[in-house]
Amino acid sequence: MTDFNDTTDHEVKADLIEIAAYKYKEGLLTRRGFLSAMAALGVLPALGSKAMAQANEIIVVNWGGKASEVLQEVMCDTYTKETGIPVTVDGSGPSGGKIRAMVESGAVVWDVCDSGMGTALILTEQGVIQPINYDIVDKSKVLEQSIYSHGVGNYIYSYVLATNPRMLGGNVPQSWEDVWNVKDFPGMRTFRKSVRGMLESATMAQGVAPEEVYDVLSTQDGIDAAIDKFRQLRENIIVWGSGSASQNLFLQEEVAMGNIWSTRAHLLKDQMEEGSFQVSFDGGVLAPGVWVVPKDNPAGSDEAMKFIAHAQDPELQVQWLEMIGCGPANPEAADMVPPELQKWNPSSPENLAKQIFYNDEWYAKNQVAAEEAYVDALIN
Amino acid sequence: MIIFYIWPLVGIWKISVTEPTAGIENYTRMFDSNAVTTSFIITFRIAAITTIGCLVLGYVVAYVISNFARRVKPLMVALVLLPFWVSVLIRSFSWIVLLGRSGLVNDTLRDAGLIDAPLKLMHNEFGVILAMIHVMLPFAVLPMMANMRGISGSYVDAARGLGASEWTAFRQVYFPQTLPGVFSGALLVFVLSLGFYITPALLGGGRVLMISEYITYQIQEFLNWGLGSALSVALLVMTALVILVAARFVNLRSALLERK
Repeated sequence: MTDFNDTTDHEVKADLIEIAAYKYKEGLLTRRGFLSAMAALGVLPALGSKAMAQANEIIVVNWGGKASEVLQEVMCDTYTKETGIPVTVDGSGPSGGKIRAMVESGAVVWDVCDSGMGTALILTEQGVIQPINYDIVDKSKVLEQSIYSHGVGNYIYSYVLATNPRMLGGNVPQSWEDVWNVKDFPGMRTFRKSVRGMLESATMAQGVAPEEVYDVLSTQDGIDAAIDKFRQLRENIIVWGSGSASQNLFLQEEVAMGNIWSTRAHLLKDQMEEGSFQVSFDGGVLAPGVWVVPKDNPAGSDEAMKFIAHAQDPELQVQWLEMIGCGPANPEAADMVPPELQKWNPSSPENLAKQIFYNDEWYAKNQVAAEEAYVDALIN
Repeated sequence: MIIFYIWPLVGIWKISVTEPTAGIENYTRMFDSNAVTTSFIITFRIAAITTIGCLVLGYVVAYVISNFARRVKPLMVALVLLPFWVSVLIRSFSWIVLLGRSGLVNDTLRDAGLIDAPLKLMHNEFGVILAMIHVMLPFAVLPMMANMRGISGSYVDAARGLGASEWTAFRQVYFPQTLPGVFSGALLVFVLSLGFYITPALLGGGRVLMISEYITYQIQEFLNWGLGSALSVALLVMTALVILVAARFVNLRSALLERK
């Protein structure tokens, strides 16, 4: 157990691996496609977490995946071809606590870790991660909201409004306000079994402009009002605990609308019948995944930075969007996205304009209390 | 027993008073929290309704098997036992298939023209209780059957011979003799229901939050081991209290341990 609050959402990362593994298994993703998707994610094969980093080898750590040997083969080949340096993935999950323990005990085996902004902030404060070297990592190749002194964006996902127009007789909710309008838009709604990404929509449903959401939520009254919105809607809510659960609720037509991850919406658009699934990024909440580099990483600072720069490749990031639904962190990638996928890309310029960024500082301060109030609103 | 059960249990007690800070803070927080109180109420209400449902249904089943089923008795016992061996997870999923918005029940009713809009059969307390009664039923039937097997039919015959009606003979002679079975069945079902997790998590839709799901929630989602442990200690204590209270009314040893 860590002695600090880690507010980063690790579940979505684990969920991405699940999606990729599913697509690969279903034959929707070629091996090569799977690998490039994983490459963009920074998910390289797990050779076992105990593999110590050798000189001239980079260990990239993420949240686990199944087809690790396959990944090893191709990703390392690609990267090695370019740089001559082997890359190994450890899928054991670089939680803040583990990174800190590693650095403080002086036994660092990881070079690059897939983390979140919240964790990056905490780890910076604790002095256990390195500043990103923006001489090597290209600032222009990443969305400015995911540029941070000690961490840099690797992909973007968001919390979006998904609807089933067919169940609603074509009358589709356009905003969070509509989602709370049970009279004109009957049917069950799904929200996450956690306040992450949810309180924002309840706040917008009160008519608050997206850019003012966290200002309103910074007061206790604002939080109470958002929680109260869920209390009002309770009879129409079914919660999702995991990404796959949210997907199932739509597939089985249990819910007519809901707030789900854009990555799962990306899968649903292919699985639902024509005309029975839509996504609106209006009032969505964007969250970036972030690369961090532990202090004293064995491969050396520059090598780690070079790898991060490699993962900025927009083509890889587009493939990753096609395969798993993760939005490219590199703005350049937006133009390369095939036209039919444009509207499903959480980080396309049009969609970025409609959404707000997840506020980790707010969560660090308020999440625990808000979670309890949220549970209470749903059951009491 | 000491290594595998008592020791980890002591560990849980320890966590509940040491994390995040030493003291009884977790317990005061627990009693102050509306969510926790509601969750306990929901837990006990669902356990009680499940118990009553299981007793009523189970009594009928046990009675029929013990007194009327002659040749089909092995088959009927098998029908009680078979679902008992199927994983709770699978049985709960089957209920999802049956009770869903476009599940078997709703589709059948709609095809028969009985309903226009699908009924809300799950993701509420109804669905949870229905599935829990299904899962718990064998725990009610088996002790009652064991008990009824030991009751000689001659008492009822004697009562009938002395002029009692069939109903009076059942009510005054047979039924009192089955009470130990009924109590042990009730106790088993109630205590097991208190700690139930999978079925409410799958069929509750997040609004029927039983305390064990809430514990998981605290530990997995918020890494809040202190409060999670305090909750499990509270659940354990309450379960023990139920058993203690029950012990005043039932001879636990003969009800649960001795099989005639």
